[in-house]
Amino acid sequence: MPEIFVDGVAIEAKDGQTVMEAARDAGIYIPGFCWHPQLSVAGNCRLCMVEVEGDTGGWMDIACNMPATRGMKVLTQSPKVKERRKTMLEMVLLNHPVDCGVCDKAGECMLQDYHYEHNGAASVATVAKHRTTKFHELSKRIVLDNERCVLCSRCVRFTKEVSKSHALGILDRGDHSLVRCDEKRSLDDDPYSDNVVDLCPVGALLSRRFLYKSRVWYLQPTPSVCPGCERGCTVDLWHRKAEWKFNALDPRQNVAIERVTPRENPAVNGPWICNKARDLPDLLERPRGGAPMLKGARVPLAEAAGAARRMIDAASSPVALISSWGSNEELAAARDALGPRFRCFVKADHVPQPGERVGDDFLIRPDKNPNGKRARELFGTAPVSLDGADLVLVWGEGFDFADVPRGAKSILLNAFLAPENGHADAYFPTTLQTERAGHYTNFAGVVSAFAPIRRAPAGSVDAEALFGMLAAVARVPA
Amino acid sequence: MPGRQLLMTFPVTATSHLLAAYRERGGYETLRRVLTTMKPEQVTKEVAASGILGHGGAAFPAGRKWQVIHLDDGQPHYLCANADEGEPGTFKDRWILENAPHRLVESMVIAGYALQVHNAFVYIRGEFDLPCRRLQAAIDEAYDAGLLGERIMGSEYSMDLVAHRGAGSYVCGEASGLLTSIEGRKGYPRNRPPRLTVRGLFQRPTVVNNVETLSNLSVILAMGGEEFRKIGAPKSPGTQLVSISGHVAKPGVYELEFGYPVKKFIFEDCGGVLGGRGLKCIVPGGISTKVLTGAEIENVTYDHASFAKAGSGLGSGGMIVIAEGTCMVRLLQVMVRFYHHESCGQCTPCRDGMGWMHKLIDGIVEGRGRREDLARMEAIALANDGTTICGMGDACGYAVTGILAKYRDEFEYWIANGRSKFDGRLEVAEAELAHA
Repeated sequence: MPEIFVDGVAIEAKDGQTVMEAARDAGIYIPGFCWHPQLSVAGNCRLCMVEVEGDTGGWMDIACNMPATRGMKVLTQSPKVKERRKTMLEMVLLNHPVDCGVCDKAGECMLQDYHYEHNGAASVATVAKHRTTKFHELSKRIVLDNERCVLCSRCVRFTKEVSKSHALGILDRGDHSLVRCDEKRSLDDDPYSDNVVDLCPVGALLSRRFLYKSRVWYLQPTPSVCPGCERGCTVDLWHRKAEWKFNALDPRQNVAIERVTPRENPAVNGPWICNKARDLPDLLERPRGGAPMLKGARVPLAEAAGAARRMIDAASSPVALISSWGSNEELAAARDALGPRFRCFVKADHVPQPGERVGDDFLIRPDKNPNGKRARELFGTAPVSLDGADLVLVWGEGFDFADVPRGAKSILLNAFLAPENGHADAYFPTTLQTERAGHYTNFAGVVSAFAPIRRAPAGSVDAEALFGMLAAVARVPA
Repeated sequence: MPGRQLLMTFPVTATSHLLAAYRERGGYETLRRVLTTMKPEQVTKEVAASGILGHGGAAFPAGRKWQVIHLDDGQPHYLCANADEGEPGTFKDRWILENAPHRLVESMVIAGYALQVHNAFVYIRGEFDLPCRRLQAAIDEAYDAGLLGERIMGSEYSMDLVAHRGAGSYVCGEASGLLTSIEGRKGYPRNRPPRLTVRGLFQRPTVVNNVETLSNLSVILAMGGEEFRKIGAPKSPGTQLVSISGHVAKPGVYELEFGYPVKKFIFEDCGGVLGGRGLKCIVPGGISTKVLTGAEIENVTYDHASFAKAGSGLGSGGMIVIAEGTCMVRLLQVMVRFYHHESCGQCTPCRDGMGWMHKLIDGIVEGRGRREDLARMEAIALANDGTTICGMGDACGYAVTGILAKYRDEFEYWIANGRSKFDGRLEVAEAELAHA
């Protein structure tokens, strides 16, 4: 545990740490574009230059590749260091278009932040800027603006070291270098590709999903959990701030998920998520179920609940198919309400889609449901069996109504619009994780919380509350 | 001949580069003696005793580089000869590769034996055609004669030697960029630490030496380190192959014993400046060394200490003679264009700074120059001083600050008048040559 001094403050560095790592661990921020805690050291932006005081005068080098050695005295704010940073930023800005006004990254751009903090002066360049490609289609999901690129190589290292698709590289050399796709590989085949958009310190790599959708300062992040697989990656759902609602446009835009970014969580997903999480709006913003129904006829909630209660009361062999998308709270309520009366089986709401990566040794897991582990803990692992059932309560998606035994009644709890909603004897539109708070337990037992970003649509009901309503009868032994 | 000759010891003929001719000159006898009578550590000791400095440009003592390698660390070690001779004005290694390739092969086996290397490489620049063919032929001859491969000359020692052709990049001549290129990746120089002698080629301890440095080994081992040290100047033992070009009557490769007077070399051995013009300045060792004016080299001798005292360095031994009346603005433009073209594009100050300087000097030459441009160029050069992964940023900085410091008036003249102070040419006109 070498002790080093950063700006006169003694900090403990772990063995093998660099000055950059030790300083950031101690809360001292040394700027840098290319350095990222999860990637190898490239040392190319040269912005993290620090001064080391020595007996024979000081020397300067980059903090990200400087091993922390006992007693070393590092200066991160000396006049020399500040001068170097300013010069580096002048160089970076030399060919940068400074088109922040139309750049999606504006507001969360490292170059903007660093410029305001370490340079702030007007450009000293008198030469024409180097022109190169804009809107280069790197993949179906990502466009690249090479003029904004600062060639930090974070994206290249990500595809080499983290996602291992080896899809990106740098073509040509010098200030004509271009980030490009490998000729023989495609970034489309990398299910983690969108992370490079977050990794990009500037607005060079842009998500086509989010392109020109919103200025980031109009948005706020709400912590959530990706339901795409049993990894349960923690994410931020970005939606418009209450004070920045549109009055004139489609009101749905005011509550839509504008983008999804990873919420760093070392226990689950680190700072990464896969593209499925980026596409959560596709999963969570499908058409909704509307109102409760009895055999396809809309009825008030109380009437539907009453009818369902009578069905449960009358059943001699009821079976419940438990959703592996239910939150821990809902699952507990379901067990309390249905457990004594029903034979319960855990159902896979979602299965891998054609073309979807089933699983890998990084984040993506084969079970495409967020809370299967908790559901199986509460309801067992027995395979679904409807033998002799005269009532089937189906909670969530992924069940084929053709499998309902002849003559049996059916109750369906489903958030989304689906043909079977009208086929069920009783149908309840449930809420989504974007409309209530709750927790999921991932495959490894880590519990993560999600919070609501908007109100539930009129007519829908929380499954947790609904189970309470049904319990009044269900709890009485038959 | 300017002093003692160690490498250019034979008349070059159509067959002098072949194994038979090399053997006639006593070739591979030193290797036999080393393999049969010496231990690896003894070889390293002799090299350290010789005090030989690297001939590639950095002038680092070769023996000290070698002593970092631990023979018993249980890892494979690698040896690379740097034949990516890309420094403008330098073509001395080419002479060895073309005319004495076996000298290099023999020396590399000696070096490999000393460092217990079993895989050695020659990284040869792609533009070298004849040198590459000659080297490959020499390697093939050596394999056929049992001088490379398994159990060399019947000893217990085995070593393979591979000639690897580069694809034409200046930074691949930088030791770590060279290794990255051999590994099959883009020739980006690497950050230190770790040093290459700790983690080099394929993450293993690696020694990279210049072709000429390595070629001297068979000479050192033949005469003994102490004896070698007596040749040349006190702190610069041995000789240097100097490739001299530019406005000089007899350009070419000469072998200079260290300590030889530079003026005498240029005016007596090389026939003086072209067209009878005066000597304006010299670029001492590749364009990455600071220029020295005719007055500055008056009493300078060809060795490291003397050039350091004069404010420059020997660099890679590629001397360029520049005649009076040559436009230094145009000269610097050519140099900066080269650096801009060759920057690998990793480090910010070099990647963007070279392009910036190139645009500034192009602006000056095209008549759009402003007085502040000169200060800006100096600031860019300063921004590259010690801030880049490899030395290229610094090298360009030296070239720029060196010329701007000594010939600022020519730049100011061009900015003020929109044209060169002289005729704006870099070459000495044919007519002038005929007249002289």
